[in-house]
Amino acid sequence: MGKQRSMLVVIVGLAIAAIFTIVQLPTQLGLDLRGGSQLTLQVLTNEQVTQISERELEAVQRVIENRVNGLGVSEAIVQSSGQDQLLIQLPGVSDPGQAQRVLGGTAQLEFRAQKPGTEGELRAISDVINQQEVQQASILAVGNENISDEQLAELEKVTADLQASRETLLDLFDGSELTGDKLRDALASPLGTSGQSWQVSIYFNNEGGSLFTEMTRNIAGTGRVLGIFLDDRLISAPTVDVQYAATGIPGGSATISGNFNADAARDLEIQLRGGALPVPVEVVENRTVGATLGRDSIQRSLYAGIAGLALVLVFMAVYYRLPGILADIALVVYALLTWAAYNILGVTMTLPGIAGFILSIGMAVDANVLIFERTREELRAGKTLYRSVESGFYRAFSSILDSNVTTIIACAALFWFGAGLVKGFALTLAVGVAVSLFTAFTCTRNLLFFIISFPQFRKVDYFAPSLTTDLPSTSQPS
Amino acid sequence: MKLNVVKQRGTWWFVSGLLILASIAGMALSWAQFNGPVRPGLDFIGGTRLQLERSCTDVSACTDPIDIADIRAILDEQELEGSSLQLIGDSGQAVSIRTRTLTVDEQATLRSALEGYLGQVDPTASKIDVVGPTIGRQLLVAGLLSLLVAFAGITVYLSLRFKFDYALLALVALLHDVIITLGVFSILGLTAGYEADSLFIVALLTIVGFSVNDTVVIYDRIRENFKRMAERSVNDVVSDAVNQTLGRSINTTMTTVLPLVAIVIFGGDTLKFFALALIVGFLAGAYSSIFIASTLLAWWRSMSSSDAEMSPATE
Repeated sequence: MGKQRSMLVVIVGLAIAAIFTIVQLPTQLGLDLRGGSQLTLQVLTNEQVTQISERELEAVQRVIENRVNGLGVSEAIVQSSGQDQLLIQLPGVSDPGQAQRVLGGTAQLEFRAQKPGTEGELRAISDVINQQEVQQASILAVGNENISDEQLAELEKVTADLQASRETLLDLFDGSELTGDKLRDALASPLGTSGQSWQVSIYFNNEGGSLFTEMTRNIAGTGRVLGIFLDDRLISAPTVDVQYAATGIPGGSATISGNFNADAARDLEIQLRGGALPVPVEVVENRTVGATLGRDSIQRSLYAGIAGLALVLVFMAVYYRLPGILADIALVVYALLTWAAYNILGVTMTLPGIAGFILSIGMAVDANVLIFERTREELRAGKTLYRSVESGFYRAFSSILDSNVTTIIACAALFWFGAGLVKGFALTLAVGVAVSLFTAFTCTRNLLFFIISFPQFRKVDYFAPSLTTDLPSTSQPS
Repeated sequence: MKLNVVKQRGTWWFVSGLLILASIAGMALSWAQFNGPVRPGLDFIGGTRLQLERSCTDVSACTDPIDIADIRAILDEQELEGSSLQLIGDSGQAVSIRTRTLTVDEQATLRSALEGYLGQVDPTASKIDVVGPTIGRQLLVAGLLSLLVAFAGITVYLSLRFKFDYALLALVALLHDVIITLGVFSILGLTAGYEADSLFIVALLTIVGFSVNDTVVIYDRIRENFKRMAERSVNDVVSDAVNQTLGRSINTTMTTVLPLVAIVIFGGDTLKFFALALIVGFLAGAYSSIFIASTLLAWWRSMSSSDAEMSPATE
């Protein structure tokens, strides 16, 4: 039985290596287990960009990455998903609203000088816009559920009017070359000591600095305003004092003090630092789980699953006797190997992933059940113990193979077409099934042949208690 | 104990027929009420779900359970009347609210209004899900597509390994299990407020994978018996195969269902219904493999062989 012995040494070695791997390479936990935010951004088209190509998606991804860095989240992941979506994972974020606000805005900042002779028009259109904004807000406050058809029509009209007014306002300003991409840095700070009102200081790069100086020189003392636009909306409109008429404002920095509270100022800071998005995006999915909530649910489900599996082990030992006990050992080896495989492959463990793992253990048990049932049948048919065990493995093989392949087919379908959580489940189940094929035919098999090489274990009773054979004469062991 | 499945097939088919009819009725009712065979949850129709728990570092803050009526009043103030509400946890210190899809500002307003009532909220124990309607559609389509592809893949594989009629009948048994699981959960949706999420589709796929296992093991045995006992009648061969694999079918189903039952009873909320769906599907799968897939095969083989006046297929 030298062959079995050396195989067993290999298996023990693998098990030790698996334990070592599990200790050294920690399991990656999904956001649903350790807490955090997962957002899906839909990249939208606009008038300039009518189709999202790989280039746009990449550009958007870079800007989003910058902004994510600005949020100060460690181990954040930004990856593209499909043709026009980005998946963002932010572990440990507690205010998902901020992430949603910061990542969703286009943040196209522009400085535009007012056209000469438009002072009256500007005042008039600003009043109109204020009025329309109040009107829009009051209709929105009614809420979606009990909004009447008239109000809905009104809302549509106001929104369209507001859009038109904003465009009119935009026409009162010159085009601009001084945009958000000519910034070096941005910084939010409180205005005064009350902390109610905030400002955002911006620092231009060399090119931006000289453009700014030129622009302020042109309008200083004229009474015309410098329009600061964020996503084509006027957020601040300061005038430039006459003292700068000769030189312009030097130093390459400016301060925007619109109507900011602390949050809005910080959001703008991050957005300006990260740069403007070439196309608009929309947050279409946000899943945020608190850290302890995730931990609680993992623990409870894990304990429950382990308790259930312990019962399975007991059942196997009681029902299948000696082979059952050996199968239990094989199952423990199986669990270790599978767990190590997850860590090596970098499988991210999510809640459905744990379910997949527990189910794959069920599959591993099934392989053993198939083999032992077959062995018992062979014993019942009057074969010797050794030959029964041998043909038990041999005959059960095609069943085990077919049933595992069909499961892997289902997993493959899930993996290719499923999203997020579903993928995790498919992967853990598929890896588990593959490992279970291995352990059933190496681990259980070799353990079993090894043990029956000892005469004292070679009793039919250890394999099938109170066996009645179909043939009368052959109940003695080989 | 010897079970003559083929002889009693009328009974088995009747039971299954009844269950399928009840399931279809449940799905029809559910469709009339919720526009889906099973009440669709956030994942498929979109919306916002907010789960908040009181921070209990100051024990005195957590003496009274949260009053649902008060929360509803707050929602009414925010013009969110149609929202669904649920208390969570044993001591009623956490609440889950599902509304239409809220904008970031609306979310913030609602949150601060709720925090005004609840007091300090533990951010590490809260949960927010926002699913836009397009994402919901995407998830649903992806789920259904993977289900269809899995069906097709399994049929092709079984056709190659066995024969086309085996594959087709295995597929019938699979549909049986999926329909019954859908039926049970459509009824749970109508009575217990269950809402299907993407985990439900995962559950359906797992059921497909597992129950085809059961069927394959029995078919494998039938095929083997056909080879060894070509002279015996189809019905005997099938009946024998079912009996030979009966111990395995029961034991495997039991050992798989056992950990799932533990999860249903003791596990976290998120996995409860998932595990329950698997239990229902696996039990249906074991039943259909033992009683439906085998008897259908016996019936089909004896039909086709008597048509052609040939001996039973010896594949």
